[in-house]
Amino acid sequence: MRLLVVEDDRDLNRQLVKALGQAGYAVDSAFDGEEGQFLGETEPYDAVILDLGLPKIDGVSVLEAWRVTGRKMPVLVLTARDGWSDKVRGFDAGADDYVTKPFHIEEILARLRALVRRATGHASSDLVCGPIRVDTRAGRVLVHGEPIRLTSHEYRLMSYLMHHIGRIISRTELVEHLYDQDFDRDSNTIEVFVGRLRKKLGVDVIKTIRGLGYLIEPPTTL
Amino acid sequence: MRRSYFPFSRISIGIRLVVTSVLSSIIILVGAAFVLSEIYRRAAERAFDERLYVYIQSMAASIASKNTANAYDPYGLGDPRFTLPLSGWYWQIRIEGSVPQNVFSSLSLFGGRLPRLEDLHVPAHDGSSREGYIIGPDERRLRLVERALELPDGARYLVQIAGNADEIEQTIQNFKNALWTAFALLACVLGVFTIFQVRFGLLPLSRLSSQISSIRRGLSDHVEGEFPDDIAPVASEINLLIESNRDILERARTQVGNLAHALKTPLSVILNEASGQSTLLAKKVREQADIMRDQVNWHLERARAAARAGAIGIATDIKPLLAGLQRTFLKIYAAKGLSIDVDCPDDLRFRGESRDFDDMVGNLVDNAAKWARQSITINAMALPVVDGRSFLEVVVSDDGSGLPAEKRADVMRRGQRLDETVPGSGLGLAIVADLAGLYGGSLALEDSDFGGLRARLRLPSL
Repeated sequence: MRLLVVEDDRDLNRQLVKALGQAGYAVDSAFDGEEGQFLGETEPYDAVILDLGLPKIDGVSVLEAWRVTGRKMPVLVLTARDGWSDKVRGFDAGADDYVTKPFHIEEILARLRALVRRATGHASSDLVCGPIRVDTRAGRVLVHGEPIRLTSHEYRLMSYLMHHIGRIISRTELVEHLYDQDFDRDSNTIEVFVGRLRKKLGVDVIKTIRGLGYLIEPPTTL
Repeated sequence: MRRSYFPFSRISIGIRLVVTSVLSSIIILVGAAFVLSEIYRRAAERAFDERLYVYIQSMAASIASKNTANAYDPYGLGDPRFTLPLSGWYWQIRIEGSVPQNVFSSLSLFGGRLPRLEDLHVPAHDGSSREGYIIGPDERRLRLVERALELPDGARYLVQIAGNADEIEQTIQNFKNALWTAFALLACVLGVFTIFQVRFGLLPLSRLSSQISSIRRGLSDHVEGEFPDDIAPVASEINLLIESNRDILERARTQVGNLAHALKTPLSVILNEASGQSTLLAKKVREQADIMRDQVNWHLERARAAARAGAIGIATDIKPLLAGLQRTFLKIYAAKGLSIDVDCPDDLRFRGESRDFDDMVGNLVDNAAKWARQSITINAMALPVVDGRSFLEVVVSDDGSGLPAEKRADVMRRGQRLDETVPGSGLGLAIVADLAGLYGGSLALEDSDFGGLRARLRLPSL
C-alpha cells in the first residue's frame, strides 16, 4: 500500500512518514499544497493524509481539485480547526475521514486501515483466503494460524494482493503501489519477492497470469 | 441610568413638529381673528355713524329752512322708529344760548333727554362732530352722533341722533361667528397638512430606522437605498460601523484560528514523539500533552464564541446546515451503518453564526452518534413566540443506552471544572450548553422515545 502525506510541519511530516513506514506502508511526502496536489494527481496512491492548513494551496482546494479530476483514493483529513463547519466543508470537498490535531499516531493508523479496507470493499481488518490470513491491524500474515516472518516489502506485496483479491494485478501496478517515489524501481524485484513469498507461505495462493500479472483467487465455496 | 436634563428629550420628532406647528398656527389664527374683529368693529361703527349723519344732514337742512310744520316728523326723517316710544332711535335738538334751554326731541324719546357728548369728554372731529356710546333713557346702549350748527343769523344748535347700538353689536357678532368658524376650519386643514408634511418629511428617517431594525433582526446585512443628503451620511456611517464590527469579529476569529493551528501542530509533534517510547518521562509528556490539548480546545472554543457573540445582523438558514451535518456524519460513521433522519422546515432561520450552529448541533449529533445503536433523528421546529422573542428548537435523539438523570447535569457542567476532565472525554455537551447560553438559548437532556438520550437545543430564531 502506498500513501501520500501532505503536511507542512516538518516534524509532524517526518513522524507520520516514520510511523506509517513502520506500519508497512510505502510513503511519499509533500510539504505544501502545490506539491501535494501534483503528486496526488500523478501517482496512484491507495490513501492520502492531507492537512487542511497548507501553504500555497489550502487543503480543501487540493482535495476539490483531485475529486474534479476523478482521483478517488480515500483521503484522511488532518485539521487543527475542529469546528464542525470546517469538517462539513472538508467532507463536502470529498474527504473520507478526519482527525483533529493534536492526535495520537495510533488513531491515524486505525483510521487509515479502515479507509483502505472500505475502499477495497472489505468489511473486516482480517483478510482471509483459504489457509492464509492477513491481520492488517497487527501487520502480519498467518498460515493455518501460524505467523510467518516477512520483510516489510514482502508484507506490502502480500497485503496489496489480498486487498485486491480476485483481481489480476500487473507488475507495474505493484511497483507503483509498493514503493515510494524515491525508491529505485525495478520490476524484476517483484518476481523475486513473489518467489520468496511462495516459499515462505508454503502454499501456492499467488498465481502468475502470463503477460498480465499476478492474482490471488478467492476460495470457491461449495 | 443616565439622567435626562431636557424633560422633552424623549418626545418624538414627529410629535415635536406637529405640536409646535399646531401651537404656532393657533396663536397666529387667534391673533388674526382678534385683529380682524377689531377692524370690522371700526368699519361697522363708521357705517352706522354714516347713516346717523345722513339724518343729521337732513335735520340741519330742515332747521336752516325753518320747515318744521309736521309735529310727528318735523324734520322729514321718514323713519317711524323716531315716533315709537323708547324705540332706541332718537333725535334731539338743543338751541344753544337760550335760557331756559330750549330742547326739541323725537316722540320716541318720550320726554327723556340725550346727554351731550361734549360733557362726556368725547373729542370732536371736523371741529363740530362727535360720536360715541351712551346709555339711553330706556337703559339701552345707544350710538350717539352730534353736530354743532351755527346758522348765518347767529343761532346755534346742537343736533343729536341716537341709534340702537345692538344693531352694530349684532353685525359684529355675526361677523365674529363666521370668522371663528372659518378659522377653526382653517386650523383643521392646517393641522392635517402639518401631519402630512411631517410624515412625508420624516419618511426617510422611518425608512432608515426600519432598515436598522431589520439589520438587528438579521433580515439584512446593510442599509440599502438612496437617502436625502441630510441623513445619507448617517446611513453610510451605519454601514461602515457594521462593516468594521464584522471586520473586527472576522479578525478575532482568524487570530483564534491561527492560534489553534499554531498550538495544535506542535502538540501533535510532542504527543507523537512521546508515544514511541515507554519511559516514565514519555508517559508524563503524553498525559500532560493530553491535558494541554483539552485546555487549548476549551479556551479556543470559548474565545471563538466570545468573538462571535455580539455580531450584528447575522442570521442563518438552518436546513442546509443540518443537511451538511447529516452528510458529514453519514460519512464519519459509515462503518457503523447509522441512519440519520433530518426533519426541518424550509424557512427556519437561526439568529446567529452558521459556525456556532454547526458547532452546537455537530457536537450533539457527534455525541448521539457515539452512543446510538442504529439511528439518530434530528428534528428542528419553530417554537411559539414568547414576549415578542421567537425561538427554534433542534431535538437530537438517539437509540443508544441513554444517560441516567443524575449524570445529565454533570455532563453539562463539566466544562467549568475542566481540571477534573478525563482526557479524551470531550467537552462536547458542556460547550454546547455554554454556547447556547451565550445566544440566550438553552440545552436540556431527557430520555428519548427510542430508549436513548434526547437533547433539546433552544436557540433564538427569526
